[in-house]
Amino acid sequence: MRKAPALISAIIISLLLAGCAGTQNRRTDPEGDPWEGFNRKVYAFNDGLDKVVRPVAVGYDKIMPDPFQRGVGNFFRNLDAPVTFVNQVLQGKATQSADTFGRFLINSTIGLLGFFDVASRMGIPFYNEDLGQTMASWGYEDSRYLVLPVFGPSTLRDGVSRYADSFIHPVGRAIHGRNKWGMWIVRGIDQRARYLDQDSELKQAYDPYVLMRDVWMQNRQYQIYDGDPPMTDYDLYLDDYPEEEPPPEN
Amino acid sequence: MNTLVRILLLAFACSSGNLFGDHVSGEDPVSLVEDTTVHIFADVAENLEEYTANPAALQALVRKNLMPLLDVDYAARLVLGRAGRGIEKEKIDAFSDCMSELLINRYSKGLLYFAGETKLWVLPQRGELNEKITRVRTRVTLPNGGQAPVDYAFHNTPDGWKAFDVIVEGISYITTYRNQIMPDVQANGIDSVIERLGSGQLELAE
Repeated sequence: MRKAPALISAIIISLLLAGCAGTQNRRTDPEGDPWEGFNRKVYAFNDGLDKVVRPVAVGYDKIMPDPFQRGVGNFFRNLDAPVTFVNQVLQGKATQSADTFGRFLINSTIGLLGFFDVASRMGIPFYNEDLGQTMASWGYEDSRYLVLPVFGPSTLRDGVSRYADSFIHPVGRAIHGRNKWGMWIVRGIDQRARYLDQDSELKQAYDPYVLMRDVWMQNRQYQIYDGDPPMTDYDLYLDDYPEEEPPPEN
Repeated sequence: MNTLVRILLLAFACSSGNLFGDHVSGEDPVSLVEDTTVHIFADVAENLEEYTANPAALQALVRKNLMPLLDVDYAARLVLGRAGRGIEKEKIDAFSDCMSELLINRYSKGLLYFAGETKLWVLPQRGELNEKITRVRTRVTLPNGGQAPVDYAFHNTPDGWKAFDVIVEGISYITTYRNQIMPDVQANGIDSVIERLGSGQLELAE
């Protein structure tokens, strides 16, 4: 972590600058997002950072053939397995943790360090778990929205958990132990490249910050409930609407 | 968000009513989705060249089959929420018409894109069928070999079960769209939103 203080101070300075540039002071969800003012500033900062990251991701996407990109995606997905495994154990999902263990073993060896997802072809299911989901399953279900610098959308619960998970994750261990950032950077570029399609839609949105929050929070809920979240209470949406009330005359 | 948009398109396209628009009211939502998927996919796959050359014909097909199964008015009311308060019924109807036209447009494009290379299957209804509202779960294969979970929310109306929301990987179309449209209507007025929707300046999907 020798270089970390420099990185952190750079982030703080940029945040302050982004704060100056922040124009939006909207409060759209005081309950779920009480730190919206701060979050919007970090969002603006990340948006600025993206001006550098995006061109790199575009270049990567153009140069690298699709099969190679898929391999890189598989490689990093395979590296998530230890975190998933530990959290499956913590959640008492014994059978599923055995699947994850088997996947990791097979893909890391026969799958050539994970570049080939042999396990999926063998019919071994893929799961994704992390400490945030474990904490949610333990009862810490609602957590305030928090936009992390560089990492983007998260919650208080998931942000803290993410840091804890990084001590198990191979990419995190390379950073904590040997101060090696190479894999982390490549993974970031690879992940960014996967979202290039969605940029224009985000840009066109009436409020991109809210769109990002909505999409992320809903998808997170979906992960926490392992693909089966409770149904939205649509009646709540309708209660806002005067069904029988005639419109005012003027 | 091309991928997601395409999934949404496909998703809606798949729920697009049966081929002759005369589905039996009282049919359960799972069968509705199953029947319509088979019909519409078969038609598009069979006449792919014709529809590619003549998008209007495809749009007509979609309009005829899609509308009977969707409750666009209900969707529009959910999207507008409290922003719809005090707005004349004609304007709300105009807004919901705009939404339908955009949907038809988008489904049609999605159908052409997906035709032939995509499979969709419907998961069995879980638990008891709720009297008022239910979710139909489907899986769609993607061109890259992956799978996407696509759910439809149906509610029971006097005319039978109608779909009003599509949920892709947990992301609800209604919830997401509502949080963009409501503040827009409150800030700029419904006329401005209708106009931008109609002229294609305002996209429907996220």
